[in-house]
Amino acid sequence: MTARIDPAGPIEDQLRAIQSITDAALSRLDDRQLLAELLERTRDALQTDTAAVLLLDFASGQLIATAAAGLEEEVNQGVRIPVGRGFAGRIAAGHQPVILDHVDHTTVLNPILLAKGIQSMMGVPMVAGGRVIGVLHVGSLTSRRFTGREVELLQLAADRAAAAVQSMALQADRQAAAALQRSLMPTALPAVPGAELAARYIPGSGGVGGDWYDVFTLPTGELCVVIGDVAGSGLPAAVIMGRMRSALRAYALETRDPAEVLSRLDRKMQHFEADAMATVLYAVIGPGLDRMDICLAGHFPPVIAYPGRPAELASVPVGLIIGVADPAPRPVTTLPIPPGALLCFYTDGLIERRGELIDDGLARLCRALTPQPADDACATVMQALVGGGPARDDIALLMVRRQPGHLGNGG
Amino acid sequence: MPDAGFSVEVIRGVPVVATPEDVDITNAAGLRVALLQSAALGPGTLVVDMTRTLFCDTAGLHALVGAHKRAQAQGGRLLLVLPGATVLRIFSITGLDGVIPNFPSLEEALAAGAAGPGPTGPG
Repeated sequence: MTARIDPAGPIEDQLRAIQSITDAALSRLDDRQLLAELLERTRDALQTDTAAVLLLDFASGQLIATAAAGLEEEVNQGVRIPVGRGFAGRIAAGHQPVILDHVDHTTVLNPILLAKGIQSMMGVPMVAGGRVIGVLHVGSLTSRRFTGREVELLQLAADRAAAAVQSMALQADRQAAAALQRSLMPTALPAVPGAELAARYIPGSGGVGGDWYDVFTLPTGELCVVIGDVAGSGLPAAVIMGRMRSALRAYALETRDPAEVLSRLDRKMQHFEADAMATVLYAVIGPGLDRMDICLAGHFPPVIAYPGRPAELASVPVGLIIGVADPAPRPVTTLPIPPGALLCFYTDGLIERRGELIDDGLARLCRALTPQPADDACATVMQALVGGGPARDDIALLMVRRQPGHLGNGG
Repeated sequence: MPDAGFSVEVIRGVPVVATPEDVDITNAAGLRVALLQSAALGPGTLVVDMTRTLFCDTAGLHALVGAHKRAQAQGGRLLLVLPGATVLRIFSITGLDGVIPNFPSLEEALAAGAAGPGPTGPG
């Protein structure tokens, strides 16, 4: 059904070969089927005996045989080729097509190719997002010279394959990230007499990001509030978020001082996750619920609605974002929480809009926030700031309200 | 290849990366590539001109912080041009304005770059 691309042949045949690979009908297949079908069509169009995809495992720096037509043993035996070595390794390292008119043990590392009697080979890099993610190669049992035009056709197939592979990886990544995110969000907020708690987490349209919140009590009865945003998205950000969440909980048990908790967290992150960066807000609310000690690491201050006056952005000096440099001492601010006050903690996704000053978003949040029950306040704020459209960035929102009649214990 | 939105040019011997209107999760990888390419032009000063930028999210900051750390490790430095209040506000909220030197104009950043490594800029 497909024609071999022959530079001397009729142009119709060449076009048909290209169409077989760029065929829109392929898009209706799921990614795994698409890859298999694409390899079959590539093999037919180029009239080769084998076609195979090796994907780069970034952790090990090796290419792993992942899909094949006519060379299935490569996949079944889990062939691995280090980048830079052998035929496929040279393609990946050089970001360039490689043609082998003559295959032997000096040009090829993979014993299966030699054992199978492949005579000539051609391979191209699979590129996505500016970097090589794998190699697509074809092989012939008879000796032949691949042409520049055939390399172009193979590159067309490789581009298509790269897109399918990216899509597969993204989907797996998204599912894992969403599962991890769900497992890390508090299943139930703690019940604290005199306080009302409510929260929302909305993944962005691009999938799960690195936003998180956490609420827990200390053995002293104090209530701890955490909200943060790990730079990045998907599984890597969710994994780092999980590590930060448990490290912060551990430090919170060790020391009462919010600045010290964040400094320890920063030191831990810079040592063990050198590339990670995150904004974090950490606050400890006294057992009487009447005041809060708060420390910010590059995070927005809370918005507070005091009864009888418009909500305002809390005046809290900001310390350096986590993961950047040895910080100067982190400032801690103590804020009073009168009965009926509502504290609103949030991530940037709630207030940031393109082409708008952040202060406009903050002002919108202040207007929307009135002292009302915590869960109602979540609903009101989401309605006012997010409305009907899907949010681009993920959003975490946490409300803590000291009940109006709560007298506290002065502690 | 760099993202179409990020241009790299060498002005008076200093690599300058100019960022587009939005710098966010969708193009932060392009910024990272442009920054790596510029840094590869040689150790020393690297300028990121954010004059056109109106929006920069955590992913954008992350790419800039990565370049800042790499430059520092190699004895060089990253200088930012941040004339706009919108983006400057993000840098002050995250505390990064005190870490990465920033200037209100490209001219001032280049002058500071020419002065060689030393005390950081006014930002």
